[in-house]
Amino acid sequence: MTDPDTGPDAGSVGVVTEGRMDGHERRDPGGTVAALRDAGDVRTPVPSAGPAPVPREAVEQPRPAVGARLADLDEHTLVVRAQEGDVRAFEALARRHQTALYRLAVRVLGNRSDAEDALQDSLLDAWRRIGSFRGDASFSTWTYRIVANRCTGMLRRTRPPVPVADPGAAGGDDAAGLVGRSRPRSPERQAELDAGMAALGDALAALPHDQRVCFVLRELEGLGYTEIAQITGTGEATVRGRIHRARKTLAEVMRPWR
Amino acid sequence: MAVSPHDGRGRVAQDDAGAHLPAQGDVVEPLACGRDAATVWDHAEAGTLDAHERECPHCGAAVADARGLEAMVSRLAAQPLVPPPTVVDRVVGAVLAELRPRDLLVLDSPYGPAALDATAAAAVLRGVVDAMDGMRARSCRISRPAGDAGRPVPPAEVSMTVTARFGIELASATARVRQMVLAAGEQALGVPVTRVDIEVVDVFDLPQPSSPAGREGR
Repeated sequence: MTDPDTGPDAGSVGVVTEGRMDGHERRDPGGTVAALRDAGDVRTPVPSAGPAPVPREAVEQPRPAVGARLADLDEHTLVVRAQEGDVRAFEALARRHQTALYRLAVRVLGNRSDAEDALQDSLLDAWRRIGSFRGDASFSTWTYRIVANRCTGMLRRTRPPVPVADPGAAGGDDAAGLVGRSRPRSPERQAELDAGMAALGDALAALPHDQRVCFVLRELEGLGYTEIAQITGTGEATVRGRIHRARKTLAEVMRPWR
Repeated sequence: MAVSPHDGRGRVAQDDAGAHLPAQGDVVEPLACGRDAATVWDHAEAGTLDAHERECPHCGAAVADARGLEAMVSRLAAQPLVPPPTVVDRVVGAVLAELRPRDLLVLDSPYGPAALDATAAAAVLRGVVDAMDGMRARSCRISRPAGDAGRPVPPAEVSMTVTARFGIELASATARVRQMVLAAGEQALGVPVTRVDIEVVDVFDLPQPSSPAGREGR
């Protein structure tokens, strides 16, 4: 411990607190947290140089309290902390928003594994760019936007756009994943509904990307036109137009299932 | 823009002060009766159709489409989609792996040069404040000027913003924050702190999970 080499090579010390703030071992990829916590002991001998007249519990208590309360903190507080480099605050934000972001990605990309990739990359992107988040829009809008951009980027790279007039051509297994057909089934009506859902999934997958993103945000995520305009970086009138075209296309396709 | 604001229900395709005019294909065509089709659709979904929209055959067709699609879409929306927990785990793992020290605090070390990452130090101090009843730390910045060679390093200065539970006595609460931060600097970080600026930037009214408001009186 007194070896100068244990003097914090700041890289490890920077993470010491991450272990400390965590308060409980939720995960430990490759044992790194444990290793870092050991490195954290570097901190221990330092104060021993002087007397410590102040109650010990002052510094011992935070562990459980912080662990219990991080998820309760208001969004603004978590954002500020994350912007100041607090990884655990960012983690709390990520856990808070991941489900909505994942839903968007699955609906837009049409399958879960691509959506996982999109979510993961988007969250990393959000961490790297969080310093540029100014709070003009809500954090939720900001992260939706990152995911929407990443999804449309992935779609542009991987698939040629499917013509709207050919809804049956897209989707397939992807659409099955999208509508989650693995749930328990009951007979005819259920089969009919399943077929309808599959058709809806296919039709959704066949929409042009920009229409699909707007439609999903409106009809599946329940957002307003203004927020969707912020997320997609376009005007409200355009958003309304895209959603309406998507609705008309889908309504047409779904008529037989009414 | 040629989109005429029909008499119907307000939010017709406004042109966003010219910032984002919709492309031709994204313009909502009015129904034959003159109503904005998207607005009628919104009203059908929200259950706020007006008298005209309920009577008009043109609106009626749009409403029927809206209702028919809505039934299926709401089923789709209700399906639970939850990401596997490993996604955030992987993200946090990657973030931790690429962490690089930013600002360093010089530690008083008789054994050789030592420094502490200021981000880590700030997180410790926030944790101390979070553990206090009715107080939460928001921003926390700690800085320590580098001393001249051979001379003692000057003490650190801390600047914090905090939020406090509504009704808490702020003067004594912030005094306690200051005291705890000074103590934690000394004990947990090994960094003497001489100045703690505290700004109460917000109040919160935390509903207690187990008991409603009123328990505060103890």
